[in-house]
Amino acid sequence: MKKFLSRYHPRYIRSLVYMLQASEYSVRDYLHWLPRVENFRTVETRKNLVTTKKALLFLVGASVLLVISYAAALGSFFLFQSPLNALLSAIIVLAAPYIVAYGILIPLFLFNFFIQYPVTRFKIARAHEKLKKSKAIKIAIAGSYGKTSMREILRTVIGQGKRVQSPEGSINTPLGICNFIEGLKGDEEVLIFEFGEYYPGDITELSHLVRPDIGIITGVNEAHFEKFRRMEATTKTIFELAEYMGNKPLYVNGENQNVRKAAAHFHILYDRNGVLNWKVEKRKSDLSGTSFDLVQEAVRISVVSKLLGLHHIGPLVAAADIGLRVGLSLENITQGLNTTKAYDHRLEPIYDESGVITLDDSYNGNPDGASAVIDFLASLSGHRRFYVTPGLVEMGVRKEAIHREIGRKLALAQIEKVILIRNSVTPYIESGLQENKYRGEIIWYDTAHEAFSALPVLTAKGDVVLLQNDWPDQYA
Amino acid sequence: MSIPKKTVAVIFGGKSAEHDVSIITAHIPIIESLLVSGQFEVMPVYIAKDGSWYSEPSMNSLSYFKDPSYAERLARQKKIGLLFDNGLKLIWPGLRLRVQPIDIVFPAMHGTFGEDGSLMGLLRMANVPYVGCDLFSCAVAMDKVLTKQVVSAEGVPIVPYVWFTKFHWQEDKKRCAQAVESLSYPLFVKPVHLGSSIGISKIKTPKELENAVEVAFHYDNKVLVEQAVENLIEVTLPIMGNDILQFGQIERPMNKSDFFDFNDKYISGNQKGSGANSQYSEIPANIEERLKEQVVAFGKKTYTALGCSGIARIDFLIEGVQKKVYVNEVNTLPGSLYHHNWKKSGVSGLALVTKLIDLAFERFSAEQTATFAFPSDILRTIGGNKTQK
Repeated sequence: MKKFLSRYHPRYIRSLVYMLQASEYSVRDYLHWLPRVENFRTVETRKNLVTTKKALLFLVGASVLLVISYAAALGSFFLFQSPLNALLSAIIVLAAPYIVAYGILIPLFLFNFFIQYPVTRFKIARAHEKLKKSKAIKIAIAGSYGKTSMREILRTVIGQGKRVQSPEGSINTPLGICNFIEGLKGDEEVLIFEFGEYYPGDITELSHLVRPDIGIITGVNEAHFEKFRRMEATTKTIFELAEYMGNKPLYVNGENQNVRKAAAHFHILYDRNGVLNWKVEKRKSDLSGTSFDLVQEAVRISVVSKLLGLHHIGPLVAAADIGLRVGLSLENITQGLNTTKAYDHRLEPIYDESGVITLDDSYNGNPDGASAVIDFLASLSGHRRFYVTPGLVEMGVRKEAIHREIGRKLALAQIEKVILIRNSVTPYIESGLQENKYRGEIIWYDTAHEAFSALPVLTAKGDVVLLQNDWPDQYA
Repeated sequence: MSIPKKTVAVIFGGKSAEHDVSIITAHIPIIESLLVSGQFEVMPVYIAKDGSWYSEPSMNSLSYFKDPSYAERLARQKKIGLLFDNGLKLIWPGLRLRVQPIDIVFPAMHGTFGEDGSLMGLLRMANVPYVGCDLFSCAVAMDKVLTKQVVSAEGVPIVPYVWFTKFHWQEDKKRCAQAVESLSYPLFVKPVHLGSSIGISKIKTPKELENAVEVAFHYDNKVLVEQAVENLIEVTLPIMGNDILQFGQIERPMNKSDFFDFNDKYISGNQKGSGANSQYSEIPANIEERLKEQVVAFGKKTYTALGCSGIARIDFLIEGVQKKVYVNEVNTLPGSLYHHNWKKSGVSGLALVTKLIDLAFERFSAEQTATFAFPSDILRTIGGNKTQK
C-alpha cells in the first residue's frame, strides 16, 4: 500500500527524474530499477537530483504529463454523459503514475534516437580519425574489476619517463572516451584507456575506436552479473579485447581463475609471483605498504609501494614489464613503482587524530576485491579489526553464494567486529559467519549512514576499520 | 530470548555556570554511545536553568538544544516529577499519569548541584545505581581547598595557598590581604567550587588582588588564592575504576594564554561536535618518564584518598625547571568524560560508557551489603512509662 500511495506523493516526479539521472539516462537501467522501488518518497538516499538543464526538462515534461492525465480524468468525469465515466476517471487516475513513469521515456527515446545516437556516431568517427594520427602507444584495460587501479599504477609508472594521458574518474564508455580524445593535444606518448563492459559488443566497439597496441585483462567475475547472467557471457564480452588484439601483447591476470581458463598460451600472465622472466621475491604487505624484489637474472629492483595488500603485486609487475615495453629505463620503472599509492576510495588508508586507521575501500564492490582485502585484514596483527559492508551489488543468481563466502572468509580471518547494513544480501554474510563458527561481534545498522555515525563511538586507537563497498540508491 | 534492555536516565543541564557544557557531555559521548550500543533504553533528563526537570525522547539529540528556540519548546513541555519507591521513577503528571522506572542514572551535570555531590545525594536517597563518583568524593573534590587539605594530609604535594570566605573578606580585607602576602606572586585567585576555569584570574601584583577576589566572589562564597607555578607544565590524567584503576593518557593542554580557560577547553579549536576540545592538547604529554611515573603515582593516591569511583580526572602542575609535580585539583566529571583521551588509550566511547555503567552496578551491589539500620529500644526508653512508674 505504501508503495502504491507513494506514486501519488508530490515527490514522485522528482524521484523518477532522479532515477533517470542516476541511471545515466539509460532506458534499460531505469526500467530495471523502476519495479524494484518500494517507496518513491525515499529513492534519493545516498545522493540527490542535480538540477541540470536535462533534468529540468524531464521534470517539466513529466509534470505536464501528469497534469494532462488528471485533466483527462476530470474531463471524462464531467464532460461525458456515460454511466461508465466514473470508472473511466478512476482508471485514468490509477494509471496516471504509470503513464508518467513510462511516458517520460518517449522523449528520452526520441532524444536518444534522433540526437544522442547521431551525435555519438559523429563523435566516434571524429575521435577515431584523431587517434589514427596520434603516435602515442595505446593501452587498453578491460575486466570486471581492478581497471582503475591498473590504470593508475600504469599512469604513475609510465609517467616517470613518458608523457601519459588517460581519462579521469571512471570514464569508460564510447562517448566519454571520445570527449577525452577530443581534448588531447597530440604530443602524448602513451594513452591509457579503461574499457567498460555493460553489454556484449561494448569491448569490441571500444577496441575499434581506440585500436590498442597493448591490452590488459584484469579479471573476470560476477560484477554486473545481473546484466550478463552467465559467467561465460561476461568472459566472452571481456575477452572481446583478446579477439581484437590478435598477436599483439595482451597481459592477463593469472590470479583470476576465469581469466586463466579463457587465456590463450601466448597471452602474458601476471600475478604476485611475477611476469614473463621477472620473478617476485621477499614480498610483504602491512599497513605501511607493500614491498617486494623484482628479479630477472642479475637485475634486482627493490619495490616499496604505498599500495596495501599482496594482490597489488601482480598489477605492479605487469606495469613494470609494460614500462620496459614502452621504452622506460629500469630507473624510471623503479621510481614509478615506488611512487604508487592508494587511489581514492580504493583501499585508501585514512589516519584520524585519535589513532583509528580507516581503510576506505568503498569503490571496491566485487568478490575478488573483497576477498583480497579480507586476506589483507587477516594478515594484520595487533589491531582490532572492523569490517563494514552493505554487501555487493549486481551479483544476480550468485549473490547468496558470494555473500556466504565473504562471511566464511571473515570468520576464518577472525575479524573482531563485522558491521552489516540491513538489506537483501547481508543476511547471507551473517549465515556465512555463523556456519563457520564466527566468534566476533556482528553489529547491524539499518543504513550505511547510521553505521558511519556510530563508528567514532565504536572505535579507539589502533583499530583498523575497513569500509567495503558503497551501495548507490539503485540497489538500496 | 533477548535480554531486556536496562533503562538509563542521563541527567544533564542544571542550575550551573556549566549548564551548556553539561548538555554537550550528556550527548557526546554518553547518549550517543548508549544509543549505539543498542543495550539500553535511554531517558534524557534535562534540568533547565530554573531547576525544572524535563524528559522527552527528542532530547536524545543534541540538535534539540542547538535549536535557538528550544527554550520556547521547553515551555510547552510537561515538567516531570520523581518518585522514590525503592529505586527511582520518573513521573509525567496529568490525567494519563505515566511512570517510568529507572534502572541506572548517568549523571552528566557539571559544577553546582551536579558535580558537587547534590545530585548524588538525591540518587543515594532514591537507592538507584548511578555512574561516577559518589556524594562524598564529589563534595570534597568540588571544594578546591578541601581537596588540598585531604591530599596534602596523604603526602601528595600541592602548591602553597590561602583561602577565605566572602564574609571574612568583607569583614577584614586587610587581614585577608596580609594572609596572601605569605605567598609569592604571581598568584591565581579562584572561586573554590567552580570548574571549567570560570572566574579564575592570574594576578602579578598586590594591586590586582582586590579586583580578582571580587570576580571570584561573584561566583562563589569561598575563594582560594594560590601561588602560580613558574615554568609551568600543566598535565591532566583521567582515571577510571572503583578499586582497580585504569589510567588514560597523560595529557598536556597546549594553552596559548597564561592559563587555559573555558574557551580553550570547550570552544576553541574549531572542532565540530566532539565535546571537549580535543585540539588543544598533546596526548600523550611529552614529558620525562620520571615525571610520568610521579603523575600516575600521585594521581592514584589522590583518586583513592578522595574515595573516587567510576571516573575522575586529576589535574597537575609541573615546575618545568626543578621538575616538581603538584596535584592541582580533581574533576569528578571530566568534560565529555575526556573520551578523546580514552580513545587514544584504546578505549572507545562505547567501551568507556558501558564500563562506567558496569562500575556503577558493581559499587551499588557492594553498597547493598552494608547495614545502615538496626533494631533499637531507644524510643521505648525515652520519656516512656518505665520512668513514670
